Order: sequence, then structure tokens, then C-alpha cells
Amino acid sequence: MSNPAEPRQRNDERLIFGVAVIAAVIFGLGYLGLVLALNHREKAPLLPGPTDEAVPLTPDHARQLVDFSLTDRTGRTVTRTDLAGNYLVVDFLFTSCSLTCPVVNHHMAEIQQLTTNQPDVKLLSLTVDPRDDTTAVLSSYGLKFGADTNRWWLLTGDKSVLYHLIGTTFLNADLDDPFTYMPGNFSHTERIALVDGHGNVRAYFDGLSENVAGAVVDEIGRLRR
Amino acid sequence: MKTWSIFPILLLVVGGGLTALADDVKTYAAHGLVQRISDDRRAVTIQHDAIPGYMMGMTMQFPVKDTNDLAGIGAGDEINFTLAVSETESWVQGLHLLAHHVSEVTNNTYVFHADSAELQPGDLLPDGTLRSESGATFHFSDFQGQAVAFTFFFTRCPLPDYCPRMNRNFAAARQILLSDAHAPTNWQFLSISFDPEYDQPEVLSSYAPFYRGGDGRHWLFVTASLDTLRNLAPRLDLMVVHQGASISHNLRTVVLDTQGRITSQFDGNAWTPEQLADALRHAARTNTP
Repeated sequence: MSNPAEPRQRNDERLIFGVAVIAAVIFGLGYLGLVLALNHREKAPLLPGPTDEAVPLTPDHARQLVDFSLTDRTGRTVTRTDLAGNYLVVDFLFTSCSLTCPVVNHHMAEIQQLTTNQPDVKLLSLTVDPRDDTTAVLSSYGLKFGADTNRWWLLTGDKSVLYHLIGTTFLNADLDDPFTYMPGNFSHTERIALVDGHGNVRAYFDGLSENVAGAVVDEIGRLRR
Repeated sequence: MKTWSIFPILLLVVGGGLTALADDVKTYAAHGLVQRISDDRRAVTIQHDAIPGYMMGMTMQFPVKDTNDLAGIGAGDEINFTLAVSETESWVQGLHLLAHHVSEVTNNTYVFHADSAELQPGDLLPDGTLRSESGATFHFSDFQGQAVAFTFFFTRCPLPDYCPRMNRNFAAARQILLSDAHAPTNWQFLSISFDPEYDQPEVLSSYAPFYRGGDGRHWLFVTASLDTLRNLAPRLDLMVVHQGASISHNLRTVVLDTQGRITSQFDGNAWTPEQLADALRHAARTNTP
């Protein structure tokens, strides 16, 4: 009784084997496709200005920290020489700025937090509005963001010194920027800049990006290697 | 049953085999100088030494697959990198900075132009174009013979101690002057919006009565053209940064005499309506014929 059933069972087994081979080939081709697709995935283009990704942007031309002498919120004079050998994380603010600056400085506070064990990482906030942003005003602004007076300097001083520093070392002036109207016509004041120990500006970041703190710290790590 | 037991192995063999075909990539360690990074950051030109077993030293442009590989690397940098070559393409990866050549630095010195520097008391305000609540165009110079106090605001301003406080102070200062029988009458208040796109005449005319009541004397709500804003912001130390539907800005309030010269400026929000009324009394009497 069992004999007549045997050939049919063998046929079934062949069929199953065939299906298995086809399934394996389909799976293999699908996996290959997936691997190729991942390899050739388009990366987001690096556009200037607010982006979702906190990717470092290389300066459009090589820039170096120029000489300056400014005053921090405790009244101490700070010069370029005082900062030599440090990584500098730099942002730009005016204290009456209600939208962008608080977000960027919140990210600066995160960077301060993430680099507490890296004493050669210093943070620098440069005001673009020294007429309003006196040392007293910057002092309470710094307190609001928990800025450590030994690591995060909020600098004010002579407007021409500040603007020479910001315009030469960090930001571009753009008379056609439809969003920004200010002395110096600076564009992209929401950026965070990273300066290496030799005074070279190495990267810019979108200071409004949620992931900017981690990206800045990663980039410092990359520069150290 | 036996057949099914080899199915996973089959999957791995076929899948792995095809993948291996696709991933047949040879890599070569290399060293060179970055000459240029393309604007889209998808290609880098490297003057490289000989790459043993593959090519002699030359300068050539290589594709970059992962633009993150270029982070922190710029023209003039000395790097180690890996050249990857498959059946169909080649690219560079793992760029590692060895030295940043400072001699390549070309700082474009930024000059803060004197002619766009801040105006001081006694300076003539450059003329500018304004648009009224009725849509009419006019200029600062149209107020010759009157003292003018102007401040900046935008109707969507959400913070009570910023723009609304400026207009509340204007309202109080206007009341002081209107109720003072000895006060001059040749004066004008201007609340200037720096949001011309949104603050259309009809928006202004429905916003103004909230501060001005039914009495429109001596107080106009206007918008500045973007050109006017572009010219005036550097001269008045005004900062206006548009961000989506809102605007970050500082506060500048200016008083002009009857000739259009600046007599006083009030920064921030700490000044009082009495101070502004006094400044207008003074400015209205300056140079009156």
C-alpha cells in the first residue's frame, strides 16, 4: 500500500526543492539589490543654511583667526594669543534675538557639557550688537545658559574689532540675503564655527540643527586623530 | 524534511555568492596633497604619490562616495587615503588628515565700511521709502518741519516686552504731548514695520487702533521697503533676522529734529514715555523758523 505513494512523494520533494532553489535565487538577487542600493544611496547635498543633518561644512576658502582684543563678561581682556592651542567652538549672537540665538546657545551649552573632560576645547560667543550687549548684559545671558566662565567666553568690545574678527575669520557679508538686515550685512549668523589649535577655521555647522552638539564633538575627535 | 533543512544554507550560499560578486573591491593605501574639492563635494582632486601595484604618481580627480569623508579636509591638506577600485568604478575613502598647510591660507580681510557705520546725534538720516496704512508711498523727508520719533516693530511680534512695549510707550508719550497745552504741535510718531511682506496696509490699519484708539493724530503705522531696511539697518545699528514666519530683532528708537537730523536714540526697552516726550519737545523746537 505504501509503494504507489512513493513516486508521488519523490515528485513532491523535487517540487519543494525546486521552489526552494528559486526562492533562494530571488532572495539572493533581492539581497544583492539591497546591498547595491545602500552603496549607491544618494547623500543629502551640502547646502548652506539650516539643514536637518548636522554635517560639517568646509569653509569656502581657508580662513584663520585674526588678532583681536575683546572683553569677556567678567571684564577680563581676551586676545587671540590667550586662545592659542585650543579648539574653539564659536557662535554669534545678540541678546535681544528671540528665535535663533537661544536655540544656538542651547546647543553651545550641550557642547560645553559634552566636552567637560576636554580642557583644550573652549567656547566663544561673539556679539554682533555690542551697543546693547555690554559685559553686564552678557553676564546674565551667560548665566541663563550655564556658561562656565573658564571655558565659555561671551565677548563684547569695540564694534570695529568685533566686526573685523567676525567678517574676516568667520562669516560672509551678503547684501542680497533676503532674511538678514544688520550692520556688516553678515549672513548665516546661526552657524557654529570650529577653529583648530593653530587658528585655522576647519568647519562650520548649522547651529539650529538638533544634532549639532554631537557633530561638533565628533569633528573635534576627528581632528585630533 | 531533508530538503527544508538545507533551505537556509542555500539562501546563504546564493545570497552570499551574488553579494561577493558585487563587492569585489580592491583597496590601495595612498598619500597625497588635496588640490581641490568640487563644489558638490562629490569629487576631490589629489596630487598623489605612486600607488604601489596600481598606478604611478599623478594629479587626478577622484569620486567621493561618502561626502562625510571630506569633513575637516580642505585644499592644501596633506592626507593619507584609500583608493577603492571595483569592476566598474573607483573612488576614494578614509581620507585622513596629516597636515594642514597654513601657507595656503588666504584671509580675505573684511573691512567694516565707514559709510555704513552707525549714525550719531547731529547726523542727517538718509531718506527712505515707507508705505502707509492706506498703501500710499512716502518718505522721511516728507516730514520736514516736524520732529519725528520712529521705532521698529512687526505685527506678528509675540513678545510683550518687545514690539508691543514700543507701541505702548509711543501711545503713552503721545498722550503726554497731546494733553500738554504748552507742548509744540509739529511732531509725528512713526511705527515702522520691518515685515513688509506680511504687514500689508490692511494688516496695519486693523492693528494700529489697538494702540492708537480712534484718534489717529500724530501717529502713523507704516512699513519700510526692504531696500530702506537694507540701507538703514547698518546706519541705525538695527538687527532684523527673519526666521520662518517670525523675526529676531533688537530695538532701536530714533528722534529726528525738524530738519531730519538725529537728536537722540533710545536703545532697548528700558526707556520711558516721559523721556521720549521730552526728546520730542526738544527736537520740535530745534531749528524751527
